[in-house]
Amino acid sequence: MTTLHSGVVLTPEERLARRRLIVHDALSLLTLFLITAVIFALTWLLHRSFEDHREELGRRWKTRGEQALAAGHPQSAIEALRSALAYVPDRGTEIELATALADAGKTTEAMAYFSTLWDSAPGDGTINVQLARLAARQGNEATAVLHYQEALDGTWQGNGYDRRREVRLELANYLLSRGKSDQARTQLLIAAGNAPDDPAIKIQIAGMMEKAGDLDGALGIYRTLSTRHGAPVAALSGAGRTSFELGMYRAAADYLSRTLAQADAETLPEAERDADRGMFATADRIQLLFPAYDLPARLRAERILSLRNTAHARLAACSAAPATAAALGDLVDRWNQLPARLTVSGLEQDPDLEQTIFQLVCDTETVTASACGQPSGDDALILRIAKNPGAVEQP
Amino acid sequence: MSAERPMSVTTAPSETMAAAAAPSVAEAVAAIPNATSTIERIAPSRGERLFLVLSIFIGVISGLLVVAFRIAIEWIRILLLGSAPHPGQDRLLVVPAVMGLVVAAMVLWFFPAARGSGVNQTKAALYVYDGYISIRTVIGKFLTAALAIGSGHSLGPEDPSLQIGAGVASIVARNLRLSRRRMRMFAPIGAAAGLAAAFNAPISAILFVIEEVIGSWSAGVLGSLVLAASSSVVVARAFWGSEPMFRIPSITMKDWRELLAYAVLGIFGGLLAPLFSAALGFLRPRLRALPRWTLILQPAVAGLMVGAIGYFGFPEVMGAGYGAIDQAMHGEFVWQLLLGLVFLKLAATILSFSSGTPGGMFAPTLFIGAMLGGAVGAFEKHFFPGLTGTVGAYALVGMGVLFAGFLRVPLTSVFMVLEVSGNYSIILPVILANTIAFLLSRSLQPVGIFEIFTRQDGLDLPSMEEQREEAVLHVEDALQPVSVPVVRGAYTIQTTSEVLTETHASACLVEFLDGTWYVLSDAELTGLAATLTPETPLQRALPAERAPQLFPDMPLDSALHYFPRWPLLPVANRAARGTIEGTLTLEDVLTRYRGTTSG
Repeated sequence: MTTLHSGVVLTPEERLARRRLIVHDALSLLTLFLITAVIFALTWLLHRSFEDHREELGRRWKTRGEQALAAGHPQSAIEALRSALAYVPDRGTEIELATALADAGKTTEAMAYFSTLWDSAPGDGTINVQLARLAARQGNEATAVLHYQEALDGTWQGNGYDRRREVRLELANYLLSRGKSDQARTQLLIAAGNAPDDPAIKIQIAGMMEKAGDLDGALGIYRTLSTRHGAPVAALSGAGRTSFELGMYRAAADYLSRTLAQADAETLPEAERDADRGMFATADRIQLLFPAYDLPARLRAERILSLRNTAHARLAACSAAPATAAALGDLVDRWNQLPARLTVSGLEQDPDLEQTIFQLVCDTETVTASACGQPSGDDALILRIAKNPGAVEQP
Repeated sequence: MSAERPMSVTTAPSETMAAAAAPSVAEAVAAIPNATSTIERIAPSRGERLFLVLSIFIGVISGLLVVAFRIAIEWIRILLLGSAPHPGQDRLLVVPAVMGLVVAAMVLWFFPAARGSGVNQTKAALYVYDGYISIRTVIGKFLTAALAIGSGHSLGPEDPSLQIGAGVASIVARNLRLSRRRMRMFAPIGAAAGLAAAFNAPISAILFVIEEVIGSWSAGVLGSLVLAASSSVVVARAFWGSEPMFRIPSITMKDWRELLAYAVLGIFGGLLAPLFSAALGFLRPRLRALPRWTLILQPAVAGLMVGAIGYFGFPEVMGAGYGAIDQAMHGEFVWQLLLGLVFLKLAATILSFSSGTPGGMFAPTLFIGAMLGGAVGAFEKHFFPGLTGTVGAYALVGMGVLFAGFLRVPLTSVFMVLEVSGNYSIILPVILANTIAFLLSRSLQPVGIFEIFTRQDGLDLPSMEEQREEAVLHVEDALQPVSVPVVRGAYTIQTTSEVLTETHASACLVEFLDGTWYVLSDAELTGLAATLTPETPLQRALPAERAPQLFPDMPLDSALHYFPRWPLLPVANRAARGTIEGTLTLEDVLTRYRGTTSG
């Protein structure tokens, strides 16, 4: 460290002293270096030991927190996860803590926590979906949808494929709850397109499609599942239900009879089974009433005549009220234009008349339903047929 | 060389300072180099080079010791208070009280210099003891502060880290034969290294040492400060990682009016800081004035009271409290709880510190500031939901606010917030709120907390705050128009003599072609005339020496040491070489100083 070229003329004694000083400084610095190395080694050992201990504590508290969270004790989970974070700061634990805060109803705190996490990882799927849930809880629809979308586009640890589908279904559910059926249907269509070959998932999607009003889409999924060997009873029930809602009573009766005949029909909820039974009875009765084209001509004529009698009686009852007489004027005129006497054999010979009468029957039930209120008995069934006569016999 | 030791070593007025001087005079003398002048002759640049190399060593060793110190605190906390202290645990009451007793015994009987925070002790080492801090003080500070903080006393590890760093520097430096000036400067360098490692914030540490310990910017020291602080932070980060202490979301100021919300926080901070100072200033001397036998009980009683706060529901106030600060940053507390924590921590810290328990005030200050910021932010956001800043952002600004208002280090407070958060987006609110807090606090409590402690300890260390604001006189303040004749270098001795005779002046200014000046007195001219011919031009007659270059912006005291040689001094213009703006005489300077003193 001593300057060798100081520019000062030194005496021999001074040169010797300078040499000694150089040696002294070099030895001092070497000693200092060795002391530093020893302190470093000691500190490193201390640190490593301490870190091991911290990690152990962190793991222990994290496990406790996760168990509490899974057991539905968010408050205990918060305390345990906070302790875990104090020892091992880790994004996963932070997310769990924020989730526990949210589960404990501490929405503001959870929102702030997740916002902090989001700031450092805006593309994290888990954080975004949690923020979406919190925004949904706070009634902030735009933010919720935005975060759901960011979660769908974001990164996921583990099986991102499944997590994205779950988020998409959650988003669809949320949209449904907000009355945004169109947007929900879009999400469900994508989910259905990407869904794995898992009946449970497909049934879930189809069920949501029903809620979103996409009965055709739901029926398509149920049908596909129903064609399988050992079709799930939920799929058969769903197919029956959606067929029924679409006015496809032949198909509904078929699916519902299969549902009720299934050995595992007992697995369906009682209310659902009762509903299935009711729908089956209705669909069965409609099939007995409906003048299908593939029926023998005589039977078809008999059914049309029977329908004519029922509808005419309904019209007469409805026209009796003075307030509705005027509204039914056109209908009465059309009835008056029919031949005064109709026979089964006559109708059998005149398919056009059959069709005219069937159309008039349908129109009568529709108009009287709006003028005199919802009918009951066979009138109600004819009204169902009238809504979409072409669908009744669809397989 | 024993004469170089200040006599005050053995007559230090306070207990603290007496403790700092605890080693014997013989030990102190042995630590001082005894051939400084010889060394400077045979190796003139050795000191400067060693200074820089040692700064790195000091930084590394300080960093290692601070890491070990933090580990010791944490480990003691886990061992004594458990891995997750929560209200209702008996140990929260017992541990701080018992450890208070142990720490008090250690301080009283083994490490008397370990008492207090460490900042003033470091200043005393710089200004009183030639940078001397004994190895016993370092060990004592390490052990007692670790035990106290680890057992839950409401104190922080930063100030002790600062003193440990300063102690390391002192120990390292005195084993090499360095000049007393350099020896003295090692204490603040080590202090910066210790603080930098404790905060993981090198810039703040450097600024704090400059603002509070050294008091001025000096290029020579600045290089060593930077080297030491950087080295210690590198070491600390090698162990702890480079993550900033706290993380908060970025702040986007959508509306400048939002700054008003932060200004309100600055006002609250400016009001709270003097309260904190006043309470400490009131309680500390009263506890110290109690009979000596009570000194051993005071930390125990303080520990019991702090433990009671934890036992009955608020364990967050125990220890340094960084975990709770992090929770506040994440908005985990409602504003009522945050406000409660402000006052509970305030009480806990006042008790812990006033009882003489070793430990620092930085962490408690940050804690109280963060809770105050969080409370004000949450309250404001509750009533003005349009505010975009998160509670975390307010908590972060709050930390800086109290730091500026309480510790009176405005520049450090701004950089500290930036460094501990790694978030630059918050700078505007921080500057605004800190400035308001600093100015308000200073107007309400003119004397800063370190100054209060210094006075209570019977010391007279320089107040850096006062120094910063001291009006320094410059040459221009005493400058007078040229009233003596001006002659050129080409003038002969005879011509010059005639000019002086005509003007009855006692001296004249001689101007040379190269723009330099000489001040020629009547007596000197007479001497020249006696030895040289009258036709001799001045430029040949006068020696090569020229009058010193003074400029109007130079400190006035810089002119003083020229007067024994020169009867008056020309003051030159920096923009036009050779042009003088006036002259300065000793009488002018003294008159100006007298005017300042009387004024």
